[in-house]
Amino acid sequence: MLLFRAEEHVDRWCETRNIKRGATLTPEQGWQLAQGWFRDKLKPDWRRHTLEEAEALLAKIGLTGAFWNLRG
Amino acid sequence: MTPSEPASDDLLRTVRLHVFNQAAETGRVPQPPEIAASLGRAEPEIQAALQQLAAGRVLILAPNSGNIWAANPFCAVPSSFRVETRGKTYFGICIWDALGVLAALGADGVIKTACGDCSEPLRLEVAGGRLTKSQGIIHFAVPAHHWWDNIGYT
Repeated sequence: MLLFRAEEHVDRWCETRNIKRGATLTPEQGWQLAQGWFRDKLKPDWRRHTLEEAEALLAKIGLTGAFWNLRG
Repeated sequence: MTPSEPASDDLLRTVRLHVFNQAAETGRVPQPPEIAASLGRAEPEIQAALQQLAAGRVLILAPNSGNIWAANPFCAVPSSFRVETRGKTYFGICIWDALGVLAALGADGVIKTACGDCSEPLRLEVAGGRLTKSQGIIHFAVPAHHWWDNIGYT
């Protein structure tokens, strides 16, 4: 996951590398995702999110649709 | 115990806490020989535990190596996602993990990276649990259900 100056820079990066464009999110959404995913990682009782918890986190941030489907 | 025997839950927990606490406290992710020495365990035991933790997606091992690549969000090697906080420098393997370093530490800080396309420096800042300065847009190239097919590429 990379940071780009703007959408057109994402387009150019994908075209240059012949990579299918994925999905973009704002830095604020990225921060929400990072908090939800990693906030507890240092805690002794940390455990991985369940699939349902991870889905709920993505949905809460507005990351929905086929690209964000964790079940394949 | 040989490397092929599974590590106990207690050892997995001990190794996990040691690795992540060291990464958080120092900015450096410890590697198997140091972990073994610190915990007073044989290195093969530690390597077996790390393999299990990696299989459980708790951390990521470097390809063809028993070394830790990332105790994610903490990257063991310098990267283009630099995180400065509490007078220390950390690295993430991607922008998500760089943000994750500050989330895991619960700390204010600055992320310094560059546009993936044109390399112009970009900076994000977190203060008081909020993203207070942001630039640019994040791109995920790999759909969510394929993230762990090749986590290095993702």
